[in-house]
Amino acid sequence: MAEGFDIDHLAKLARLSLTAEEKALYSAQLNQILGHFQALADADLPATIDDARVVDEAALRSDEPGPVLGAEAVTRIAPASHDGQISVPRVVDDES
Amino acid sequence: MADALHTLSAAELGRRLAAGTLTSRALCEALLARYQAVNDKVGAFTHLDQADVLAQADASDARRKAGQGRGPLEGIPVAIKDNIAVKGQPLTCSSKMLAPLVSPYDSHVAERLRAAGAILYGRLNMDEFAMGSSTENSALRKTFNPWDLARIPGGSSGGSAAALAAGLVPLSLGSDTGGSIRQPASHCGVVGLKPTYGLISRFGLVAFASSLDQIGPMARCVEDCGLLLNALASADARDMTCFGPSDRALTPAGDAKQLRIGIPKGFLGKGVAPEVAAAVNAAVEFYRAQGCAVSEVELPSADLAVPTYYVVATAEASSNLGRYDGVRYGHRSVVAGTPVEMMTASRSEGFGPEVKRRILLGTFVLSAGYADAYYVRALRARAKIRAEYLAALAGVDVLLTPTVPTPAFKVGEKASDPLQLYLEDIFTIPANLAGLPAISVPCGKSGHLPVGFHLVGAPLSEAKLLAAGRLFEAAHGFAHQQAAL
Repeated sequence: MAEGFDIDHLAKLARLSLTAEEKALYSAQLNQILGHFQALADADLPATIDDARVVDEAALRSDEPGPVLGAEAVTRIAPASHDGQISVPRVVDDES
Repeated sequence: MADALHTLSAAELGRRLAAGTLTSRALCEALLARYQAVNDKVGAFTHLDQADVLAQADASDARRKAGQGRGPLEGIPVAIKDNIAVKGQPLTCSSKMLAPLVSPYDSHVAERLRAAGAILYGRLNMDEFAMGSSTENSALRKTFNPWDLARIPGGSSGGSAAALAAGLVPLSLGSDTGGSIRQPASHCGVVGLKPTYGLISRFGLVAFASSLDQIGPMARCVEDCGLLLNALASADARDMTCFGPSDRALTPAGDAKQLRIGIPKGFLGKGVAPEVAAAVNAAVEFYRAQGCAVSEVELPSADLAVPTYYVVATAEASSNLGRYDGVRYGHRSVVAGTPVEMMTASRSEGFGPEVKRRILLGTFVLSAGYADAYYVRALRARAKIRAEYLAALAGVDVLLTPTVPTPAFKVGEKASDPLQLYLEDIFTIPANLAGLPAISVPCGKSGHLPVGFHLVGAPLSEAKLLAAGRLFEAAHGFAHQQAAL
């Protein structure tokens, strides 16, 4: 299976900032865990993929509007809000 | 009252409440006194609003007095794992990422408990985002096993199990993605049931791995576990996998002495502590003596269950936890910069080590060049495991194994070895991969530490699992057991 992985690339994909110590620790641990996953590579497996359904009674719901929390409840739990809207860092720089 | 209220079952408390010999206020006051006496030792709860509990109790007593009681759970406290939303109560997942959050809405199960008249009684500690088997990954506090305070209670629903074993509450809710209800139930000497995938709505359960997650009941006896299950199962369009109550799952099963019990070949061998094997073998012999047909069954792909689970679960977790970006809710870093820098800093500050480890692992198994080798093969292995379990369950009613290979270990003993901790779940994981119902029932002790056995059934066979558990429990002294604290 995998010959290895680039911990910096993984951290970037996962939007995590890791210290040098964390990189070393996670690299060693992930290598150990991935070694255990070798059993999957060696196994004789069916072509079918599990779709996670257990009982056929489950069904998609109709695509109709339903009750929502509302702006007041949503902004109350947001880290930062202003005038009933959630504040975020500037996304687009001013043209200069 | 001669007997201490904190030792009684929910069913017995319900009978006393119905008979008018007990009020919900008196019950809650007794449990709050118990909380003051032992919660600091055990650390099961992370939050308990005593005034709110008493207000709910008074409202329940008033309903009952007015002839408007809502059923067998009226006035009975149910404590809730801290990843299940209850409006107005903290919803932290025992994580710094969510620690200040108060839920603005009720989960479906909270709605069901309110409709049943239950008291929504405090928040229970857990491994952060339900990732762990020892509750050591909580960012909020440590929880200890009431049977030995130097040991872990199991996890991730460690607070839910420890609260029961410590007599802090008669009923609790847990969630189970790979064994998180059943493994702590086994370690703490209580009963825990993971229902069939889809029987109970997950609306309001913070998502970890959505194709595996289930909410389930925990109690000190099988009867109570069934009572709580009945209250929770209900149709809910807000969880598209939920098909609602099923007569097949909830109607009391026939004579448990007629059950056919399968023992998976080789499961009592490698890695199982001798005292655990002895207790589970004694349970097998009990069922045989009762007239149950006991036979050996083959599950040849069982060894694939742990790697399959940790690929699927971490892949789904890395996706589900992508929502924690510091924007809409949860921790936002004060580090200034671009939105991506803010998100990265927020996630790095908010998540603990195990959550980061699983996000990284899940990101890897889904990444370009590796997804076919890991994620897709895991889905194929999952299909094989499920097919083997369903084939085995076509010939028997239940499969019986230990719940956990070894008794509760010491706090810190496996903290630096995540793979060893993952192997704790070897017997419980297949039920999640196959979506099957499963229960852990106390069956003995290893020294002073509880041991449980594990029953897995076909989809919607909860009633059979409960009947089998009750048959065993009625003949043994393990129900209602509480640790001396």
